[in-house]
This record gives sequence, C-alpha cells and structure tokens, in this order.
Amino acid sequence: MADFEERRSLLGGEDEGSFTDRRAARGPGRPLPAICDPSHLLHRVVVLTFMCFLGFGSYFCYDNPAALQTQVIQDLNLNTSKFMQLYAWYSWPNVVLCFFGGFLLDRVFGIRLGTIIFSLFVCVGQVIFAAGALVNRFWLMEVGRFVFGIGGESLAVAQNTYAVNWFKGKELNLVFGLQLSMARLGSTVNMNIMGWVYSKVADLVGSPGHTALGASLMIAAVTCLFSLICALVLGFLDKRAEKILHKEQGKTGEVIKLTDVKDFPLPLWIIFVICVCYYVAIFPFIGLGQVFFIEKFNFSPAEARAVNSIVYIISAPASPVLGFMVDKTGRNVIWVFCAVVTTLAAHMMLAFTFWNPWIGMSVLGVSYSLLACALWPMVAFVVPEHQLGTAYGFMQSIQNLGLALIAMAAGAILDTRGYLFLEVFFCACICIALMAVVMLYFVDYLRGGDLNWSASARAKLLKEATSDAEIKRRPSKLTEGDLARLTPMSAFGLRNRYLSRLGTQIPHHCSTHLSSLAHRSVLK
Amino acid sequence: MASVKKRSCSVSSLMFLFSVFSLSEGLFGGGETFKRKLSIELNPGMLSPPGGDLLHVRAVGDNDTLHFLFCSQGAPTLLLVHTNTISSTVKVNWTQFLDRNISGGLMVEPESSILYSNAIVFSRLFEYDDVNDTAGATSDFFPPYELQDVSWSRLNLSDSTALLCGGTANSNGSLCLQLSVFESEGRGHLWPTLLHTANSSQLGVWLDGLLPRATRSRFLLELQAVGGSYSQVEVHRSIDDEFTPSIFKVSQWVSANSSSDGGGFVQWKPVAYRRSAPALEDATPCRHSEPRQQSGKEAASVSGLIRAFYTDPETFGLNVSFGLAGEPFYNSTRFLSWTMLVGIGSPPVDSFSPLVLAIMAVGLGAPMILLLLGGVCVCVRKRTAALSSMAYEPIN
Repeated sequence: MADFEERRSLLGGEDEGSFTDRRAARGPGRPLPAICDPSHLLHRVVVLTFMCFLGFGSYFCYDNPAALQTQVIQDLNLNTSKFMQLYAWYSWPNVVLCFFGGFLLDRVFGIRLGTIIFSLFVCVGQVIFAAGALVNRFWLMEVGRFVFGIGGESLAVAQNTYAVNWFKGKELNLVFGLQLSMARLGSTVNMNIMGWVYSKVADLVGSPGHTALGASLMIAAVTCLFSLICALVLGFLDKRAEKILHKEQGKTGEVIKLTDVKDFPLPLWIIFVICVCYYVAIFPFIGLGQVFFIEKFNFSPAEARAVNSIVYIISAPASPVLGFMVDKTGRNVIWVFCAVVTTLAAHMMLAFTFWNPWIGMSVLGVSYSLLACALWPMVAFVVPEHQLGTAYGFMQSIQNLGLALIAMAAGAILDTRGYLFLEVFFCACICIALMAVVMLYFVDYLRGGDLNWSASARAKLLKEATSDAEIKRRPSKLTEGDLARLTPMSAFGLRNRYLSRLGTQIPHHCSTHLSSLAHRSVLK
Repeated sequence: MASVKKRSCSVSSLMFLFSVFSLSEGLFGGGETFKRKLSIELNPGMLSPPGGDLLHVRAVGDNDTLHFLFCSQGAPTLLLVHTNTISSTVKVNWTQFLDRNISGGLMVEPESSILYSNAIVFSRLFEYDDVNDTAGATSDFFPPYELQDVSWSRLNLSDSTALLCGGTANSNGSLCLQLSVFESEGRGHLWPTLLHTANSSQLGVWLDGLLPRATRSRFLLELQAVGGSYSQVEVHRSIDDEFTPSIFKVSQWVSANSSSDGGGFVQWKPVAYRRSAPALEDATPCRHSEPRQQSGKEAASVSGLIRAFYTDPETFGLNVSFGLAGEPFYNSTRFLSWTMLVGIGSPPVDSFSPLVLAIMAVGLGAPMILLLLGGVCVCVRKRTAALSSMAYEPIN
C-alpha cells in the first residue's frame, strides 16, 4: 500500500534491516539474555521505564512555584507580579527554542547527546533556582528558571523521539499514553508533596525562611538529577542497541522553514488564536490557584493544593479516552467549541459563586483534556505535511509567548484588583477563544473545508483518495526521503498519525514518524 | 435548521443582555444616593478645653440631621445621634462635661427629635507574646494600654477628616485615629476601600512605630458599642474582592432592630495592613471575639462623651485581634492599620464595578452576536446555493 511504501522510505528500511541484523547477530553464536537483547520486549520495557522517568523531573519542578506560592512570596518578600515572573522566565526561551529543538536534536547534537544536554540544563537550572532561594537573591532564581526552561520543553521533544525510535505501531499508543501519565503524575505529586517537604525542612532548619525554601527546592532538584541519570542510561542503551542492531540514531524528522509562515491559511491563524487565548486562562490560573482557594473558599493549604492539582490528575486518564472519542466521531470544531464553553462555565462558577471548587476544577480538567485532543490534530487537517513542523513550532512558540506575557499580567492584575477581576480577565480570554471557535466554524463551513467532518465521512473520502493515490503513485518511485516529504500525505494517514498520540489503536499501515511532533504539545 | 438556531440564539442573547442591564440598574439605583450638607465645629463654646477636644459635625439631610461627635476626653469615642428635624443642635455645658463624674453635660435639642443614637468607644489596646505562633490570644498578656490614659494631641482637622494621635509613656511611636465624614456615597481611597454613604462615617485606627514589648507580640483592640443591643456580629461572604483584594468577607456588628428606629451598625472587612501604602502581601487577617455585655457605668467612667450624653446605657464589647498563626508579627514592620465604618440604618452593600459588568457583558455577548451573524451568513449562502443549483438536473 502507498502508506507502507512511504513509511519504509522514511524510516530507511529499518524494520527489514533490523530483522536481518537480528538474525545475523544471533548467527555467530552467543545469544543475549532477553533483558539485554534490544529487540526483545523485556529490554524495551526497561527502556520504556527510563524513558518515562526522563520527563518526570522536569514536570515535577515546573510547578514548584505554584505548590509553594505562599512560602515563596513570604520568604522572599515578593509581590504576586514578581512571583509570576518565575513562570514568565520559563516561557521566554521556548518562544525561540520551539523552532530549533528538532534541528538541534537532528543535526547538531544527535538524539543521545541532545537528551543528555537538555537534561543537564533542567538539572542545573533547578539547582540555580534553589541556590537563588538559599542566598535570597531573586534575580538568581529567575536565571535558574530561564536555564530550566531551555531544557524543559526540548526534553519533551527528545522523549518523544526516543519513543518513536524504540516502539512501532500499536505499542506507540501505549507508550505515548504512559509518557503523558508520567508527566501528569509528576505535576500532581509536586503539588501535593512540596508543602509537606517544606514544613519538614522548616522544622529541621528551625524556622521558615528563604533557607528552608532553598533546601526544599534542592530536594526537588533530586528528581531532576534522577532524570539526568535516566538520560545517561538511555543514551548508553540506545548506543548499545545501535551497535547490536546496526540501526541509525533516531531523528525527529522535523523540518522547519520559517518562510512557510506566509502560506498559512486563515483557519490556521484562528487555531493559533484559540490555542493562545485558551491556555493563558489555564496555566497562570493554576499557578495562582492555591491562595485563591485558601482565601475565597477557606480551604486549608493542603486541601487547596489538592484541588489545584485535580486538573492534572483528571487529564491523565481523560486524554486517551477523550482522544479516542474525538477520533471516532470527528467533528473537531464542535468538540473544541464544547471544551471552550465548559471552560468558560467552570471559570464563571469559580468566580461568581461559592460552589464547591472541586466541581469547577474537575470540569476544568475534563474540558482542558478535551481541547488538547480536539485542537492539535486540526493543525494537521489544514496544513500540508511538509509545513507541519513549522506550523507546530510556530504554535508552541506563540503559546509560550502568550503564557509569558499573561503570567506577568495576571500577577499585576491580582496585586491591584484582586481575584474577581483576575477571574473576569481569564473569562474574557476564554470569550475571545470562543469567538475564534465560532469564526473558525463559519470560515471553514463557508470555504467548504473539512475541519468539521465526521470521522465516517472522512474515512469514506480517504478510502477514495487512497485508491486514487495508489493508481497515481505506482509509476513514480519515490524512495528519496525529501521527495517523499514533498507529496502531501493522504488524509487517512494524517488522521491516523495523530491517533497514535492519543493512545488509540491504529491500523498497521499508518505511518507514525511524525506523531512525536504533535504529541509533545499534548503534554502542555 | 439554521434559521431555528438563529431564532433561539437571538432570543437567548436578548434575554441575557436584558438581565445584565437590569442587574446593573438595580445595583446602581439601589443605594442611598442622597446627600448631606456638612458643617464642622471644634469645641463649640470653648477654646481648647483641657484633657481633650470635642468635634461636632452636623450632617443635614432633606428632613433629618445626623450629628457626629468625636471626643478625646478619656478614651476616644465617636457618638452618632440621628434626629428627625433639620434644626436640631448640640448644647455642651462645659463645666459639667469636663467634670467626668456628672452626666448631662452634652445635650441634643430638641430631645424629642432624637430617633437613634449609638457610640463606639476605643477602650484598650492589648498586647500579647505569641511565643508559639498560634495567635491564640489566651495567655502571655502584657499590661494593656488604657486608651483613656494616653496623652492625646489636639484634633487635627483637614477637609472633612479629623486626625487624633497619641503616644504612650515608654515609646516614640503613636496610636492614631482618623475620622472621615461624608457628604454622599463614595469609596475610600486606600485599602480597604470601604463603600460609604452619607449615613456613615469612617474610622481608621493605626499603630505607627509603637515599640512592641516582645519580638513575637501581636495586638488586640477592645471596642465598646454603646446605646443599642449590639449583641451579634454578622459575617457575610461576598464574591467581589475588587476593592479589597483577597478579602471575601464583610463583618457587620449591628444592633438588634427593635422598633421603627433604623438601628446602627459597625462594618469592617476582616483585614489589617502592615504598611501605610499597602500591597497585597501586607494584608493580615483579623478576627473578632463574640460581643459580650458590659456595664454601662464602666463605659461612662472611661469616656467623657458617654458620661455626658448617656445615663445608664446598654453596652457591648468585643476584641478585634490582628494576625493569625503563621502571619508575620507586628515587629516585622511596626505598623498596623485597620478601618471601620460606623453609621445609622443598614450597612452599605458592595456591588460590582462597572468595568467588571462591562467586560462580562461584552465577553458573553460578542460570541453570541457572532453566532447570530454566522448563522445568518450560512442561511443566506444556503438560500443562494439552493436557488442556483435548481438550474442543474441529475443526468440519470
């Protein structure tokens, strides 16, 4: 089938090669024990565990400020807008780095060295951040967050590339699902544990203060060290597998051409607007949520942290399930509309009523997962494959830019106008996203686009298109990788590429080499 | 189907806009927007009486008068007298007034026109050593500062505010009270920007530079409400914290409404600030104890104004304690300020600011309008498409 041929050409005949080499490796005599054999499932499970824990440290430490908000503000004498700078500085490097992550991993460092370097950045960044707290210098903490940000997002790219290299076909869904769960687990554990760690350290040190804060953050840095060790082990195992199986170092396969931006169609720009306006109402809100729940709903600090982490806890199981549902039914625009409307309802519930915030935050968690599953695949429907790298890079870049700016704005608003006004501001952002969704629906409908097609309609069309493409493609032998990338991929392949990201069952003949592109976005 | 969607959309959006406008109308029109004319006089009938000043503000409305009397003879006291005529006056017999053992030194004439009166006495400032950082306020009390023994300065008048400051024997710092009287509805300028009407006055209390007697000391302020049955403090929850960020509660100390008199109130937000130009982090929560009945005679002996106006009034007292467990101590900034509203009638109710209402109206209305427009476009497009496609006929 056409897809199989393309997949073969893009993966460089890996499967066949590895198959023959496996036989050749066993040929000379000494068979490796199952756990040491890179082609055996058991060994790959071991590699999988290291892969999952690779990102754990970065997600654990990303939300450290939110988990310790009161302590950070009190011990370092900050106001809320300075506190939010800690989040802004994480996002600034990623405005630029989203474009270069794939390039650095493919051409400059290679996946193994690149992963180790980014892990090192994460570790060093967190240590600088903790050191800044120990010596009571806020600028040092900002530098630490900046360094941490350089490593954090790019590490997710590396993690996905490893996954695509070691696992194929149906296994990939499970792997992505597990990576997502580990990421969410890291965030949740951080939210619920750091407060306890701080109080224990404060007892040890004698009194709460910047020393206790610095020590707690150093303890959090241990998770980053653990991730660094995982990166080193992964690098070693990958190199070893390369020697044994004679396969090439993995590539992200990403191509970024900034000149493609002028070709982006209008629906894509609307999708960018939805993405930015939606996420700026979620992450800064979680960053400032703990004190909001303490002050407004009279929660204890531990309870407030638990309710703050519910968004992450819910999105871990909900994302694969909702992704499966979205893909079975299609009609992505309607799902995005539903997600935005329910998020607006959740924010209004939290702002204008005293109803139990568990309800509002749970609704927020479900709608956030739904949006992630429905919005990111739409990019693939409007943009040809060879521009996908640029489109996703651009989307993440402006998402990070929006997050950096709005994080600072949220802190300033809170300092002067209070929580109700901040919530109204977030509601206004969601309303802008809502307007964009409505516009997207009508623009797409009036242009005769296919964003809102049901899954069955899409499948029917793709079957026809595939058969057409087969007839067309047989004479032209596309074996060169670059040439293959130039021909737009069939929509069927496009759809199935992103199924894998969501942890669903995909047929054998799908091509998954670019699934890592979209997947890292789901982790955000 | 699109036309049905359009119709239902237009109906729902109209209903929403209507409700928003009626809500804003209700919120704005519901308050008391009347004005009073203020006339201020200091020490009527005598020039700088010894022991303390007496400030008299006459706030004249359409057919009633509200007399504010603020006195520093003994403990600082604020007395409000509400009369039902615009020609009521205050007469002070200074010899009787200055002799703190005789009552009747201050009279409001004509006496039959008095509708209601209430007074607030600031009697004591307690300080305790919070060794374990529990803010329990049950033990380790230092000897309290009796506010009747503080040497108060002369009342400093400016605009419609009066400032009274006093220092204690053993420190440089001061305890100040500031009274503001208002002509019409408005809001304070500094946090907690309390909403006031012409029927209320604002009293700010602050400690500035007062030397604490321990590094971990916290303060309590004792208040006495005189002249009504102030047996209860109601705590209302409010979703709006625009004007006092991160404070979602309002405390109201009201007198049980017995007859046709409007009653009186003391209203405050349970927050104190640790800096004179506070930021959000300088807010420290405060608690109040349950009001307890106290002897009117004691109140009269402590405050010259109570002795002069009342004979044997009903008195309730409570303590306002500043700071909870885990909050920074007084020693961190050596500044503490707290504001309250004292008035007649029912306490003012806060409402959303126009900006918030406008943002919500635009934010919710615009997508609906967009949906409407889009539905119209789609309808029009379908109709033209249907018209044009009628020219085609299927071949087979």
